Amino acid sequence: MIRLEDLSVAFDGAEVVKNINLELRDGEILGLVGESGSGKSVTALTLMGLVSDAAQVTSGRILFDDVTLLEAGRPRDRSLYRGYQGNKMSMIFQEPMTSLNPTQRVGKQVDEVLRLHTGLSPEERRKRVLEMFRAVGLREEEKVYASYPHQLSGGMRQRVMIAMAVILHPRLLVADEPTTALDVTIQSQIIGLLREINEKQKNTMLFITHDLNLARRICRRIAVMKDGRVVEQGDTEQIFGHPAREYTRKLIEAVPSRIKTNKAARMADTAGEPAVQVRDLSVFYQDGGNSLFSRNRRRCVVEGAEFDIYPGESVGLVGESGCGKTSLARAVLGMNRDITGQVVHRTMGPQMIFQDPYSSLNPAKTVGWLLQEPLRARGLLDREKAMTGEEMEEAAYEMLRRVGMDDLYFHRRPSQLSGGQRQRVSIAQALITHPGFIVADEPVSALDVTIQAQIMELMQELQQEMKLAYLFISHDINVVYRMCDRIMVMRKGRIIESGDRSEIFEDPKEEYTRQLLRDS
Amino acid sequence: MRYVVKKLITLIMTLFLVSAAAFLAFQVIPGDVVTSILGTEATPEREEQLREELGLNDPPVTRYLNWMGGVLRGDLGVSYRYSKNMNEMMPVTELIGDKMPVTLWLAALSLVLIVALSIPLGVIWARSKSHFLDAAFGVATQTAMAIPSFFLGILVTYLFGIVFRMFAPGGYVSYKEDFGAFLGYLLFPALSLAIPKIAMTARFLRNSMLTELGADYVRTAYGKGCTRRRVMYGHVLRNALMPVVTFLGMIIAEIVAGSIVIEQVFALPGIGRLLISSISNRDLPVVEILILYITFVVIFVYFLVDILYRVIDPRISGK
Repeated sequence: MIRLEDLSVAFDGAEVVKNINLELRDGEILGLVGESGSGKSVTALTLMGLVSDAAQVTSGRILFDDVTLLEAGRPRDRSLYRGYQGNKMSMIFQEPMTSLNPTQRVGKQVDEVLRLHTGLSPEERRKRVLEMFRAVGLREEEKVYASYPHQLSGGMRQRVMIAMAVILHPRLLVADEPTTALDVTIQSQIIGLLREINEKQKNTMLFITHDLNLARRICRRIAVMKDGRVVEQGDTEQIFGHPAREYTRKLIEAVPSRIKTNKAARMADTAGEPAVQVRDLSVFYQDGGNSLFSRNRRRCVVEGAEFDIYPGESVGLVGESGCGKTSLARAVLGMNRDITGQVVHRTMGPQMIFQDPYSSLNPAKTVGWLLQEPLRARGLLDREKAMTGEEMEEAAYEMLRRVGMDDLYFHRRPSQLSGGQRQRVSIAQALITHPGFIVADEPVSALDVTIQAQIMELMQELQQEMKLAYLFISHDINVVYRMCDRIMVMRKGRIIESGDRSEIFEDPKEEYTRQLLRDS
Repeated sequence: MRYVVKKLITLIMTLFLVSAAAFLAFQVIPGDVVTSILGTEATPEREEQLREELGLNDPPVTRYLNWMGGVLRGDLGVSYRYSKNMNEMMPVTELIGDKMPVTLWLAALSLVLIVALSIPLGVIWARSKSHFLDAAFGVATQTAMAIPSFFLGILVTYLFGIVFRMFAPGGYVSYKEDFGAFLGYLLFPALSLAIPKIAMTARFLRNSMLTELGADYVRTAYGKGCTRRRVMYGHVLRNALMPVVTFLGMIIAEIVAGSIVIEQVFALPGIGRLLISSISNRDLPVVEILILYITFVVIFVYFLVDILYRVIDPRISGK
């Protein structure tokens, strides 16, 4: 049994984990749920002895069976911890690419756990690693053993991470958002694998996620965290059925669920002319085109796409990453030049909203400047539409208010904003020139569930006000369900199925669509 | 294989461009070899006669092509300025032959010193937890970076040559006579050349290691139960070396240029003095060959760095 008693952790005097009490019973899977910044990762890292030296345990202690691993007022005993880390307790991280050493073969990285904690000979160790690779579902384990992380897919890397974590059958397994960086289909495979390992090895598992749906699928008990505190704790069904706290209820409601119907009245104006018309569109890429001597191969990444999007309508584009969603969207906006077929725009200056609001806003500029930039650019292109400085400023303030942000943010820089606020700025930036058509490429994937809900609501409001046509790209079918009137399913560069939302969800024609629905 | 061919073609193209640029520069700068040989008092007839002898009256393009044709056939041409005796011209090959190895060995030795000293220093610095050690390293490298090599050369001569008597200033031994003694003598000039670069590289490696220490895979390594030492040497070092290798590649050219200056301080018979006097004498054939040679060396080292980079970072060769 592992217990966290009255645990508080502070950085620079500011407590981020406050008086937490958690009990992990043998063999159970406990879900630790909360938005980012709620303190769940710091809790896990503290438990694992991996939290940075800047963190201070200000109260409480951590008990592993009867051993006190950590106690307030005592420095962390690294050598005591080393006997546990990798051996009796281990951790799986969110990002398997960066969590593996890029310059070491993955076999060797898993082997290191055995080298550190067992006295096995090199041959025995190799055998154990290969067996473990097979057990976590890695085929061609010899090949995987000799591979570097970049040569494996995201799902394979996460399997390697899992193999590394469970090869010594640890008592405690901490999984910190282990599937967040993966595609839906891979996600459910990994969840299945973790559950299987839990059944076989009987480890105690602490499963950390911001996704309540996911927690519901795998955890027996759930603890909800907010602002560093555990606000609610109990059996999964109890939490979902009768949430005791307002916050938990909000968290559950925020999850885009298929059961919940879309409140917004549909505004699609399908009688008139479509805002965008796409006919027989194919998109090509050059392979290895950066060298003087290589023969260029032209690879088709999107084949024969055809659709219309009407003003006020949202069309969802779903599919796994790499299926050509983004290439198609870029081609529709004219950002991919190597295309055949036809794209007709009947609105002016279509815009794009990007996935990552952290890197798509220039960090050196203020929000006000960023919002005026599209107006300045338009002024340069078209003298008639040029505005004076004051007019642009006025328009930027106006737009900022429309996306629900206070005037005082006008002079802030992106680094001073939260993820949700940044995405609001991106949306304001896209809408300030009053385009009729917006491509939104995974606009909420990088955000927490509650923020996700707010942003989707905002996008729907703006759509009604401005009669916008959306092409909404996402790998998350629940998000698409909530946002879109029509849905197109894409696979390997082709749109394999499309139809009204209800058709796709209730009566999918393609096996692939059915699988996507099951996995989400 | 295709990679090597590609590199070779780049090398050849660069050499052509550099030689053409040097040739062009000589057309543009005022003064020519005739004035430099005969002085300003010579009669126009004598000047004209000498120009004809040296082939300077041909159009520049013809002269360049003639010279290039010679080089391609292995004939590096003759010096305008130096002659063997009254009747025989001095071939560039003979003029340079003895001097080039001195300069190259000097550059190579300082490169070896840089690699051999800066990497351990950088690692120790990155590992040092005490503030005193950290600050001491900071001040020491800052100082070493600020001192110009030629001045360091004077300091080294005074300290090791005159105070400690570890070598005899001016007591140069030719590499043909005793290679070991030759390298021993080169050690101190190489050190003066290397010290500022060692400081830079160590600082760079230390920063790179500290950055890498924040990476996710480091957390994974600790999570396995690795000691700090094991994390440093087993995981961080190799990743941290990648930018350092690029940096080393970039300072190669500086080392070669620096060795020309250092030769003057230590009175080494390298190409330094010859290059400078040949430029002021407008001795084009000599300058051309020296420049080509240096360019070749620099590009060749870049090529080696590239290969090394591929060895360290598996992600590059995979693409």
